[in-house]
Amino acid sequence: MISLYVGSTSGYTGKTLITMGLGQKFKKDGLRVGYIKPVGILPIKVDDILTDNDAWRIYRALELKDPVSGICPVVLTQELAVKSYLKDVKGLLRKILKSYNDLSKDKDIMLVGGYGSIYTGNYLGVQGLQVIKRLNSKVVIVVKYEGEYIVDYVLQAKKDLKDRFLGVILNKVTIEHKQSADEYAVPFLKRKNVDILGVIPHDSIVGSITVEELNEMLGGKVLCCHDKLSNLVEHFLIGAMQVDKAIEYFKKTRNNAVIVGGDRADIQLSAMESGSVCLILTGELYPSEIILSRAEQKDVPILVVREDTYSIAKKLEKLSVRLRLRDKVKVDRGMSLVIENVNFPLLYKKLGIKIGQ
Amino acid sequence: MKYTSDNIFHMLNNFFNPKSIAVIGASRTPGKVGYDILKNIIQYGFQGAVYPINPSATEILEKKSYPSLLDVPGKIDLAVVVVPSKNVLEVIEQCGAKKIDSAIIITAGFKESGIEGAKLENELIKKAQELGVRFIGPNCLGMIDTHSKINASFAAGMPAKGSIGFFSQSGALCLAVLDRALPDEIGFSKFISMGNKADITDTDIMLALSEDENTKVILGYIEGVSDGRKFMEVASQVSKKKPLIILKSGITSAGAKAASSHTGALAGREAAFDSAFKQSGVIRAHTINELFNYALAFANQPLPQGPNVAIITNSGGPGILAADACDKSDLQLIPLYKDIVDELRSFLPPVASFYNPIDILGDSSADRYERALNTVLKDERINGLMVLLTPTAVVDVEATALAVANISHLIDRPILTSFMGKKSVESGTKILMKYGVPNYSFPEEMVSSLNAMYRYHLWINRPEKHYPRFNGLKEKAVQIFDTVKKENRDRLYELEVHYVLHAYGFNQPKSLFARTSEEAVAAAKGIGYPVVMKIISPQIIHKSDIGGVKVNLNSKKDVENAFFDITTHVRNIMPTAHIYGVMIQEMIPKGKEVIMGITKDLQFGHMIMFGLGGIYVEVLKDVSFRIVPLGQEDAHEMIRETKTFPLLRGVRGEAEADIEAIEKSLLILSQMAMDFPQIIETDINPLMVRQRGEGAVAIDARFTIGGE
Repeated sequence: MISLYVGSTSGYTGKTLITMGLGQKFKKDGLRVGYIKPVGILPIKVDDILTDNDAWRIYRALELKDPVSGICPVVLTQELAVKSYLKDVKGLLRKILKSYNDLSKDKDIMLVGGYGSIYTGNYLGVQGLQVIKRLNSKVVIVVKYEGEYIVDYVLQAKKDLKDRFLGVILNKVTIEHKQSADEYAVPFLKRKNVDILGVIPHDSIVGSITVEELNEMLGGKVLCCHDKLSNLVEHFLIGAMQVDKAIEYFKKTRNNAVIVGGDRADIQLSAMESGSVCLILTGELYPSEIILSRAEQKDVPILVVREDTYSIAKKLEKLSVRLRLRDKVKVDRGMSLVIENVNFPLLYKKLGIKIGQ
Repeated sequence: MKYTSDNIFHMLNNFFNPKSIAVIGASRTPGKVGYDILKNIIQYGFQGAVYPINPSATEILEKKSYPSLLDVPGKIDLAVVVVPSKNVLEVIEQCGAKKIDSAIIITAGFKESGIEGAKLENELIKKAQELGVRFIGPNCLGMIDTHSKINASFAAGMPAKGSIGFFSQSGALCLAVLDRALPDEIGFSKFISMGNKADITDTDIMLALSEDENTKVILGYIEGVSDGRKFMEVASQVSKKKPLIILKSGITSAGAKAASSHTGALAGREAAFDSAFKQSGVIRAHTINELFNYALAFANQPLPQGPNVAIITNSGGPGILAADACDKSDLQLIPLYKDIVDELRSFLPPVASFYNPIDILGDSSADRYERALNTVLKDERINGLMVLLTPTAVVDVEATALAVANISHLIDRPILTSFMGKKSVESGTKILMKYGVPNYSFPEEMVSSLNAMYRYHLWINRPEKHYPRFNGLKEKAVQIFDTVKKENRDRLYELEVHYVLHAYGFNQPKSLFARTSEEAVAAAKGIGYPVVMKIISPQIIHKSDIGGVKVNLNSKKDVENAFFDITTHVRNIMPTAHIYGVMIQEMIPKGKEVIMGITKDLQFGHMIMFGLGGIYVEVLKDVSFRIVPLGQEDAHEMIRETKTFPLLRGVRGEAEADIEAIEKSLLILSQMAMDFPQIIETDINPLMVRQRGEGAVAIDARFTIGGE
């Protein structure tokens, strides 16, 4: 049985999606796949069983049959967090090992999903590095590519993981960063004997958010087009300029949501006319009836939020780094991206997997 | 602090009663401002000496001209400055040298024209202060005094002599008002264009006009005030002496300022001005038309001594319109005494209507009007009379107008008329105007004018305001505010809010803090089920927006689940928020939810806000405001001012809410605002009001703190 840990050197690099993609491909290639997320930070209750939301999504995406109770043995609830700060909580690692042993029976490969980075979890006595060692896993490091400087972290991880380190997947590489990745980071890493297991481009659909999620995160109120809450928003724009300028700028950006003061009817109309998919009205100012009826006609949901435009923009910026894979459209798209862009022959070779035997 | 209107009046005496005027920048060219002003001064009969100042002229409009102020041999009381802006400072220096202490600076090109202009204006203010020169303007139209016959303006025309004193921030509006006044010969006492108000301000002029014996009514147009508190103090002082009618423009939507909670979003400058006007007895006109309508009524008729009015009309429709308008106002159409009705019956046709409004029918003659008026006035309960006339074929408009005017002169109760239409009633309205009976084209205008007079009567007769003080509360909360200041925070923590409200005597639900679900269950047990659970985090202000509140938890299981749901949800959507834990609170039985708070206006300072909670405040924006300090009457009025007030009274058999408790809470908030000027915003939302006599409970609140 092979144990493959998907880890990273920082949070929100896209481990969940990559784990899904890898699992999908392994299954396609006839492997018996198991999955565990030793520590989860997104508590959710499924039929009154406490588990982790990301783990639950992977479980469903890979159509696993194991009992849900084992897929995330340690869930970091507020309760557990507070308790662990107040006094040492013991036995978590043991709990992880037990679940792992139960799940890995009859499996060819166990996917292990890290949380945060391979360095987090120390305070609970379940640091990534420690878990990797105890589970005897090989490790793929997923890096969100934001510039050449990331090579530093990769080298450190290689050093810390020693022979458990398999290689790196550069994720969310934007068009702007593609060149620097190709010309500097990739050749450099190769020179340092780091295998590049994949370079996955940034994708605006995977990076998008539904209007419904958006509304939930912003604590807003939906005023119209309740049936259009599944609209995917890829970009956010602030409507604060004159109308003629604004139209130009709205038109250029695909699937945008416009953040605008509730009293700026001019901007609101021009956003709808230029194809925005959602309006976020700030300052708890409600729009006029004309705006609402136009929005109904154009199928543009309108959200009203309490904060001002800047605060909302700031919130959205924070939110964009930690988008969750909730939507089926996004999940399918994301998994196929992974399958297309990961060098599976190399990965299989490194893991010692031979297909078709 | 009292502003001594007497001093200001004397100080401004040289503006209104100069013996000699110099026009600096006088011109020989018709059409130029320097020419028009000089011409106006001369042609409208100024009796004193006039000195044109122009370096290159020897004589202008048959007056000897001087190259500079310093060359004028005699004493000069008033300097009217029309030179280009770059030369104004030099002229002010010469004023100083020549011991001229009053100037009207017509010249534009100051603050209104940009940065350079603003700098120049600052220099001008400094220089004038050093030299002891008071000035009106710059960037103004000038000034007119019909009694001392000065027209030191470049307006076309001179208004008739009268008793309305008018000041305006806008020169253009001055022109429009003047032009409108000319054909109807509406009389003015003074006409002052204030311009940039760099030295002499609205409040100075208000005080001066309140002392001016030729002025009976003060009219003003303002766009903004620089010092809201001073404005209120002066306005209250002035309005006790003379009616002060103000048209305020430039009210923009409240939303511009980023609002951090309800009160902020709802309180705008409009609310502040509206409250300021109400609290200082200013009669607010919303349109130029209203400004005129009110001015005519106040200038010409005595105030009604009560709300009871009668309407006499020669047609049904307009009578009903007037009755409707009365119904919406504070005026009351009372039924007349039976003997008066009987007397009316003795001479009116049997199909006439003898009740109020009294319809004396379309075939009425002047005689019939006269008899009806005299009869109705025998009812001494009638405080004011309104006469309607539609131009039927038989009515003698002029004779009726004369009859009404004659009666008006004999009584000390107000008579207002609405001779409707234009062409066929014109000769009559001229007579009415001439004898000081204000006439309005439409009945609604007439009613609203009489109503304004009645409200003013109430204002000047209202007892001295009572400001309740709550002593000894501040001391208990001062330490909290000191800590917040020391830690340079802009918000009070939950527990601090609790403490401050407690110090100020607000009832609050029993509350216990819990960090884990075990602690939460213990707390719930201690308080007793059912309980409410609320997230506690310094980053979360509006808890229920993000699912941070659960109510009606009835068991251990409920509490555990709620703890998991709340904390997980909040961590999920606000990952950077620090969660302290949760507050377990006693569930307060449902009462009437109201919202109240403190908010701070840039010009007027702290205001107290009140509204019915929930959708009423969010959607209907049904809130009222008063500027701090609140008098007992303010608290009383602001609750009753909201449209939803009847809901507090109880509808369909509901019990009445404890309105007295609300009043007291508002007064306490006013005290709190005075005790802690650093409060920018306070919101108690909701305050659950119980039945009468049972008090109210502050369920949730927040405080935002700013600089001193």
